[in-house]
Amino acid sequence: MATQGWVGGQGVRWADSTQDEFIVTFSDGIYGGFLLWGSNEPSDQFTSMTGAQPLYGYGTFCAGGWIIATIAFEQFTYASRTGGGPLVPIIYTVGQRVLFSLRGLFTNEDEWTPSGDPRAPNTYFIGNVVQAPAPENNNYIVLQTSI
Amino acid sequence: MSDQTRTRDSVILVKGDAYPVTVDGILATQGWLGGQGVQWVASALDEFVVTQSNGYYAGFMLWGSNESSDQFTAMTENQPYYRFGTVGAGGWHILTTTFEKYTFLSRKSGGPLVPLVYHASDRLVFSIRGYWTKEITEWVDSGIPDLVVRGLNEYYIGFVTQSPSALTNFYMGIQVSI
Repeated sequence: MATQGWVGGQGVRWADSTQDEFIVTFSDGIYGGFLLWGSNEPSDQFTSMTGAQPLYGYGTFCAGGWIIATIAFEQFTYASRTGGGPLVPIIYTVGQRVLFSLRGLFTNEDEWTPSGDPRAPNTYFIGNVVQAPAPENNNYIVLQTSI
Repeated sequence: MSDQTRTRDSVILVKGDAYPVTVDGILATQGWLGGQGVQWVASALDEFVVTQSNGYYAGFMLWGSNESSDQFTAMTENQPYYRFGTVGAGGWHILTTTFEKYTFLSRKSGGPLVPLVYHASDRLVFSIRGYWTKEITEWVDSGIPDLVVRGLNEYYIGFVTQSPSALTNFYMGIQVSI
C-alpha cells in the first residue's frame, strides 16, 4: 500500500506482521474497515500531510457506523472491467447493500463468484447506499457504513 | 506498539459499548476470564442476566472475575461475590488470551492437542465455552443434540488483527463487531 498509494475510502483488511504492530493491506472482499484519508490527496498538498502517510507507513482506519461521501467505489461492472469489452456502468440505488470489491473499493457486486474465488459468494456486506452518485453530488456515492 | 502493556486477560485498545449486567450462578461459581464470551439468559427477576456463551453472543466480559491485576484492590473477587460484570459489545479493538489454542476435536478426543493457527483477517465466533475461536464446527462436532441442530456457527463477531505469537506475549488482537 505504501508503494502503490490508496484513495480515501479504500477498503482494507488485516494482514500478518512479523512485528508487534497492526497492519492492513488492500481488501480483497474481506473487510477490516476503510481508510479515512487517501495517501496523496489534492487537499493535502503543501501541508504537513503531504506524502506523510505512505512515507511513514501509517493510515487512519475506520470501522463502525459512519456516513461518508466517497469516490472510492467501482464505477463499472466487474465483467466489463475484466472482459476487455465496453465498460458497463454499475447503477447504484438508495438502500442497496454494498461490500468491498477484489481491489477494496465499495461495490454492489459480489466479485468472488465471477472471479472463481473459492470463498464465493461474498456476503460480507458493510454498508448501504444513502445517495447514489450523480452529477448533483459531483458523482460521489454517499454510504452508511456498518462495520 | 512494542511497548504495549499486556497484563490483564483482556487489554482494551479501542472502546465500544459497555454496560453492567448480572451474572448467573454458573459464572459466579466457576468464575470467568476477561474476554469471556457471554450470552443472555432468562431471569425470574427484573434484571439482565448473562451466562457463559455456548456460541451465541451478547458480548464479552471486560474484566475477569479474579484477575491477578485485581488482587489486593477493591476489585478482588468483587464481581462474582456481588454477581455482576461488565459486558462489552459494539466495536472494540482488544488484545486477549481468552481464545481457543487447540482444535475442538483434539481437545475433546483426549488425543494429542492440535494447535489452532490464527492469521490476521480470520473471522471469529465464540466456542461452546465462550472463548474466541476460528472454528465454526464446534456445534456439529460437540455431539450435544441441542447444539448439533444449529449446524455451523456463523455468529461472527470479530476479526483477528494480530495473530498470537511470542512477539505479542501470546495475546491475540481482535477487532470486535457485535
